[in-house]
Formats: sequence, structure tokens, C-alpha cells
Amino acid sequence: MSDAGETEAKEVCVVDDDPSVLKSIHYLLASEGFKVRAFNKAEDFLTHAGNHHVSVVVTDIWMDQVTGLEVLARLCAVSPKTRVIVITAREDLAARATAMAIGPVAFFMKPFDDEKFISAVRDALSQSAK
Amino acid sequence: MEQDHDQSQEQLDLLQTITMEVTAATDLASALEVVLREVCEKTGWVLGHAWARNLDVDVLDLVAAWYCGDGELKGFRTVSERSHFERGIGLPGRVWESKQPAWVEDVTNDPNFPRSAAARTAGLRTGIGIPILSRGKLIAVLEFFMRESRSQNEQLVKVIVAVAAQLGLVIGRKKAREELARTNEILQSILSNMGDAVIVADKDNRFLVFNPAAERMFGKGAMTMPTTEWAHRYGLYLPDKITPFPHDQLPLTRSIRGEAVDNVEMFVRHEKAPHGLWTEITGRPLCGPNGDVLGGVIVCRDITQIKEEEFFRAGQSRVLEMIAADAPLTDVLASLVLLMEGQAEGLRCSILLLNRDGKHVRHGAAPNLPEAYVKAVNGAAIGPRNGSCGTAMYTRRPVVVSDVLTDPLWTDYRELAKICGLRACWSTPILSAQGDVLGSFAMYREENRGPLPEENRLTQIATHIAGIAIERQRQQEILREREARINLAAESADLAFWILYPEQNAAWMSEKGRLMYGFDSNLPLTCDLILSRVHPDERADVKAAYDRSCALSGTFESEHRLLLPYGRTRWVIMRGRCLKDEEGNLLETIGVTLDVSAQKQADLQLQHQREEMAHRNRVSLMGEMTASFAHELNQPLTAIANNASAARRFLERGNIDPALLQQLLQDMVADSQRAGEVIRGIRSLVRKETSVRALLDLNGVITDTVRLVSSDLLSRESVVATELDPQLPHVNATLVQIQQVLLNLIMNGLDAMEGLPPVERRIIIRTHSDKGDVAEISVRDFGMGLPKDQPDKVFDHFFSTKQKGMGMGLAIVRSIIEAHGGTIMGENASDRGARMIVRLPAVRGQTQTIAAA
Repeated sequence: MSDAGETEAKEVCVVDDDPSVLKSIHYLLASEGFKVRAFNKAEDFLTHAGNHHVSVVVTDIWMDQVTGLEVLARLCAVSPKTRVIVITAREDLAARATAMAIGPVAFFMKPFDDEKFISAVRDALSQSAK
Repeated sequence: MEQDHDQSQEQLDLLQTITMEVTAATDLASALEVVLREVCEKTGWVLGHAWARNLDVDVLDLVAAWYCGDGELKGFRTVSERSHFERGIGLPGRVWESKQPAWVEDVTNDPNFPRSAAARTAGLRTGIGIPILSRGKLIAVLEFFMRESRSQNEQLVKVIVAVAAQLGLVIGRKKAREELARTNEILQSILSNMGDAVIVADKDNRFLVFNPAAERMFGKGAMTMPTTEWAHRYGLYLPDKITPFPHDQLPLTRSIRGEAVDNVEMFVRHEKAPHGLWTEITGRPLCGPNGDVLGGVIVCRDITQIKEEEFFRAGQSRVLEMIAADAPLTDVLASLVLLMEGQAEGLRCSILLLNRDGKHVRHGAAPNLPEAYVKAVNGAAIGPRNGSCGTAMYTRRPVVVSDVLTDPLWTDYRELAKICGLRACWSTPILSAQGDVLGSFAMYREENRGPLPEENRLTQIATHIAGIAIERQRQQEILREREARINLAAESADLAFWILYPEQNAAWMSEKGRLMYGFDSNLPLTCDLILSRVHPDERADVKAAYDRSCALSGTFESEHRLLLPYGRTRWVIMRGRCLKDEEGNLLETIGVTLDVSAQKQADLQLQHQREEMAHRNRVSLMGEMTASFAHELNQPLTAIANNASAARRFLERGNIDPALLQQLLQDMVADSQRAGEVIRGIRSLVRKETSVRALLDLNGVITDTVRLVSSDLLSRESVVATELDPQLPHVNATLVQIQQVLLNLIMNGLDAMEGLPPVERRIIIRTHSDKGDVAEISVRDFGMGLPKDQPDKVFDHFFSTKQKGMGMGLAIVRSIIEAHGGTIMGENASDRGARMIVRLPAVRGQTQTIAAA
């Protein structure tokens, strides 16, 4: 476990087009003391990432309008250092491979194990701080 | 005194003489002559004549008889002859009026004596007028004159009055006798000449009158015998023609007993009337002036002809009744022939029938012709020289052969006729109402002659009745043949024929029908009974449909179940037509019932198979849509897990805000429900029972269905666009089946576009309604399109353009759409891709006003 004060300072972005899923991730991260910024639309997040430093983003890769892979590709361009955790509701090996190739640090199938997810977020934050 | 005595004696003599002579006189004129002469000669009158009443003009005229004492009175006689006296005029008129003798002392000086001048010339002075009365009526006036003027001599007047009275008596008696004689003569003449028999008998049963007609009728003259023997002696029978008439019931006996007898029929047979005759008798008692019965009189009318005509008519009626009762034709014709033969002595008749080939004859009836003759004629050909009958049928005209032994028409049959003792044969063709020759009626006689008018009349009646009989039999034959053909067709077609007479609640059904409905062959049928076989669940509907078609005079069709005894059921189709009379009253409904149980069973099986296939199709669609379902389920599950985890963590830290905790729990509940909805949706798609129809908003169904596949669209990198007509009417349909149709069409479209770059993978779903009675959905893709030569082949079972496809999808789609009364067709879009167009019947008045969300 890292220092709580250290992690508190860092913000985690969450992108999911499903409001209830987005909200639940928000609460989950908040219960561990993370600062969370939630985005319902991928475009909004990309805009935010273009203007702010984003250390970690948790994103669904099968969102409407823009696929999660597209978000990853564009994020690489805007903020290459951002650590990405992918969550998906669908088992798709091809998409997983592509996502890992682009660079996410973790890949979770919905619904996911909360402990592993939180530790993955924490790891990502700590790596990003280095 | 002496003189008086002499006078009296003289007058007595005169009276005696006159009485004798008058009685002897043959007529009034000679009696008058005697009276005038005797009175004049014996009592001193010179002229005597008489006046009689001229009944035509009601005056007194001089009669021819007169007496004249000398020849110088001719002038007065001539004047008198020219005179006619009315009542009260002149001497005769005065007597007529008073009916009393009148004495005129001097006629030359009398104011009421028109002949006074002539009297003066003749030298006549005193005159007397005496009335002759008979039963108080004036018959004549006697007039006497003398030359001397003499005062009235009462004695003389008395004598003459006595004479006149005697004369009146004699005349009256004579007249009465004459009248009686004349009446008798008339009576005798009537009795002799009248056609009715009149018989009078006295109380002792002795015949008083037995007129010639009676002798003709009863054969014997009046003879004295006891009434008990009359019936036997005169051959009197009751109307049964056999039982002798009981003697105490004989009309004459009854009338002698004092009874009035009216219209008693009696059959009489005796040696002069061996065939018997019929008489109708009326009788009355003969009564004396005191009302005591002296005897009896009967009048007998010969009603033989009337009776025979009556019997003949009754005979005709019997034959017609046989025809109406469909008695065998040979029986009818034999009866007809016997009836005709009974109408004339020595007459034999035959009826031949013309075969339907119109060329050959066959035996009809000839009960009294020799069998050899009948056999010889049977099967013979008709022709211009083929006996009487063959020729009559050939020429369609009556043929009269008076002597078969010489007639050229009989060349072929002459020997046979000779053997059979036939001499004359008159044949008349029997024609149908349309004028077709049906046969012939012939009369045979053993003497050579032509037919009498009466025989011609019989022929006319016989041919008429025979025509009716033969024609009816032919029609029945045709009807029977037709019925047999129809029955054959019906039997082989598994059809039940029936006729309903709703007014009488009566019905008829063919044997097949009775079998189908489970009725015994001899059970009397009613409409209610037939209706009672309809399955109780459907009976009311069937009855309503039937009543409706009756009211509209239309046709009736119903598919329903029959519930038979022992609980068996049968599926039938009933089709009927209502027949009405000119006034629109329902006469009957005729129709057929078809047993469709087997087809129905097959249909049900097929429907079951279709449902099974549709179900498998849905299950298989589910398989293809796992990504969507997984996604749809995983989203709420993820949210729930996250929220639960967050809540636990907050609690572990011990500083949780209760409001936050509540929010987390609330979200979890909402997400659980969302997951439940997803599962319910999946279950409804895979459920087998899918037949509940409801009013559906197709635009809403399309939106929901597209959402359902959204995850798959993402994974397949495809897009579904919708262009929905806000005016689209509702349809009556089963939700799951319509979803199935849409899913199939969308999946097919996606499959068709698999090889395309993602940007081109588009499906456009459009709804549209032209006139509001059809809702149209088109699903268009941009794939490879349908087979160009036969685009509709894609709807066939097991046809597939896809390697992994089973070829069931579109076939199921089509069966679903058709089950909804709609159509589906496939076409290739002008640029590329296929377009599937589904049309469903709209529910009127149900248009959508707000665009689906």
C-alpha cells in the first residue's frame, strides 16, 4: 500500500457511457480515498486530457459513438504518459490484444474483482508518479 | 085444382124428360137444344135461345142451339146473334147481374131491352131470362119469348128455374167428369211418357201404378205379390251391388208405412238389364182426406249414366293417386287400361312405351291381350308401316285401322292378329307436355269398325293420364340417376349433403352426413338436432353465423368442431346457401359438410412444427446476440458489485455519511431491477408460447429491438439507422414474433455486410404508411443483395447464401408475417444491397400521433 496522502493528491479519470456503471466506479474509488473525475462521453474526456495532466484513466472500450480503442489511440497522441486501465463488458480477445498493444496497464472484464481493480488503480498512480 | 094438378104433372114430366135427355146429351149444345125445345113445346113459348159467357171479353154471346116455334122469327134471331150483352145490359145482362130469373111483360116497351125494335117487328111481347148456375157460377142464360103480353106467371117461372137448375147440375157434373177424364188422360200421358219410374201401391201392397219407365227399369209389369218377394223378383240390391235390398227397407214399403223417403240409391239387375242399372228413389205416402195412409208412391230416377261417370272419374282419380304415390309404372298403366276397358263392352286396350332411343317400343300394359301378342310386339321398331301403334308413334298422329286383316299397315302382324282374334285397332300416340312421343294407347275390337265418339273420348282421357304417368316416371328416373351420381360424388368426396327447413325445424341429411354427425339412418332429423352436434364452445357462433346468412339470403360457411356421442370430435367445414321464395321468406338452406379432421390435424401439427422452428430460430438468434446480452447484463452487475464494494469500504473506514450509504443502496436496487428486465427480455424471446396478440406500436418495437442489438452492432462495427413515420398506424400482432422478424432481418443484413469495411456497414430501417390501412416496414442493407433471378427464393426453407446459415430465418419470418395477414417481399436496391419490405394490416382508427422515442 502506498502512502495515502500521496495518492490523494492524484486524480483518476473514469470514462463510461453507462451512467450507473460510471457512478458505481466513482463511489468505489472514492471509498478508497481516490479523487475521481467522471466522464460520460469519451469526447469530453479527450478534451480534458488535452488540457490537463491525466495520470490514470479507467475507460470502457465499447462505448457508443467512439470505440474504446479509438479513445486509447487518441489519448496516446494527446497524453502519452497517462496510464490506462481498460474495463469491458464483453470478452473479445482481438480487442484485448489491441488494447494491450497500445499500452494499458490493466484489463478488466465487467464485473470485476474490486480488490484487484483498486490495487491496479493504485499501482497505475504510483507508476505514473515515478 | 085439377088444372093445378095437371100442370104439376106436366111439369114433373117435363122435368123427368129434360133430366133424362140432358143426362144423355153428349155436350152442352145438345143438352141446351133439348131444354129449349122441351120448355117451349111444353110451356107455350114461341122462341127459346141461350146465352153463354164469352170468357175472352166477358160478355154474353148467343149460342148455336135455339128453338123456334114458327119461321117468322129469323130476323130477331139474326139481331140477337149480332148482340153481345155486358153485365146488366138487356135481358141476358140483367139475369147475369142478378143471377135471378127476370120476367119482362112487354119487351117492345122495356127501357133496358136493346132489341125492342126487332122484337116489335117479330111480334114478340113477353120475355123471360133464366140463369143456369153451376156451383154458384153463371154458365148461361136461357131466354124465352112469346107473342102475347102476359104478366109474370110464378108457377111457370118456377118450372123453368127448376129445369135450368137441373141443367146446371147436369152441366156441372158433366164438366167435372170431363175434367176428371182429361186430368186422368194427362196423368196417364205423363206417367207413360216420363223417364222416371213411378210406382204406386196401396196399403195391401198391390200395385196401382207401374208406369212404362218402371217396367223398363225393373223389367216386369206390376204384379201382385208380397213385398217380401219384390227385392228378389225385381233384382233389387243395396249399393254394394250384391246384397238384396231388405224388403222392410224398400222405399215403396217405407212410403206405404207412412215414411217420406228421399234419394235412396238402389242397384237393379234383371234379365233385360244384365249389367244392372242405378236408380235413385224418392217416396211419399199416399194420404186420404183424413190424413190416413192409403198407400205409397215412389219415383225412381235412372242414374246409371251419372253413376258410371262417377265411377269412371273415381277410377281416373285412383290412377292419378297411384301416379302421385309413385306406384310402379306398370301397375299404373295396367290399372288405367282396366279402367278404360270397363267403360265399353268388348273393348280391349294396350299401352306401349317408346324407348329413350326413340326407335323401339316396349311393353307397357295389356292385361287382356294374349301373351303371345304382347311378346311379339315388345321390342319392335316403330316406322311408317309398323302396325297401328308403331305407325302412330312414328307419325305422332292417331292411326285408325278398322280392319287389320286388310289394312296395309298390318302386313307384318296380320297372322298374329288373326290368331288373337283382333280385328280393329285404333292407336293414339301418348305425348309429353313438351310434345315428345312417350308411347301409344291402343283400343282393340273383335269386329271391324272405327271408333265411336265415346271411344274417342276414352282415348283422349287415357292418353292424357298415361302421358302424366310415363313422364313422371321418366323424370323420377332422371332424378334418381342424378341423385345417384351426386351421392356417388358425395360419397367419394367425403361430403355430407343436408337440407334445413328452419320454419318447420325439419332437416334431411345424406347417409354420409348421418355417419359424419353420428345419427342413425332412421332417426328423424331437426335443425336443432344438427345444431346440437356442434361443439358447445362454438355452437353460439355457428348459430349466429347461420342466422346472419339467412337474414342476408347469402351463403353460409363455418369451420367448427362437432362433438359426437362418446366425446369424439371432428373438424368440419359447413357450407350452405339459403333459398327464399319470391316474397323473401326463407324456404330452406341446402349445403354440404366436409370432414376436415385429417387436414386440421396436419395443420395443427404443421403449426406446432412452425412454432418449434420459430422457437429454435429465436434461440439461435439469442446465441448470435450473446455479446449484446452479456453487455446488457454485465453493466448493471458491474454497477452493483462496485456499489456494494464501495459501501463495504466506507463502512470499514467508519466515517460513512448515511446519505451516501443510502444512495449506494438505492443504486444497487435500481441496477438489480435493470438486470432483471434484461433477463425477462431474453426469456420472453426464448419462451415457446408466443401467440398472444396485442395492439402494437411498430416504431416503438423497432426502437427497442435496435437497442437490444446495440452491443452486437458495436462489436460488428455496424450501424442501424431508423427513419420512422410518426403517422404509422398500430397493428394487431404478437410482440415477440415481430421482434423476431426484426432481429432476423437485422442479423441477416449484418451478415450480408461482413465483408465490407466498417464504414459501409449500415442498415436503414424505415416505416411508412400510405393510406393508413397498411403499416410497412422496410429493412435495407448495403450487402451483396439477393439472388438476382429469383429474389423471393430467400424465403424458402433451407435456402441460404450464408455458409453457416441453416436457411430457416427468412422462411420463419415469412410464416410469421403471413400468420399476421401480412406480406413480405425482398428486392434488390437500385445501387446495392437488399431491401426487405414487410406489410402488416393496420388496425383502423389507431394511428400513432407521437413519434417513438
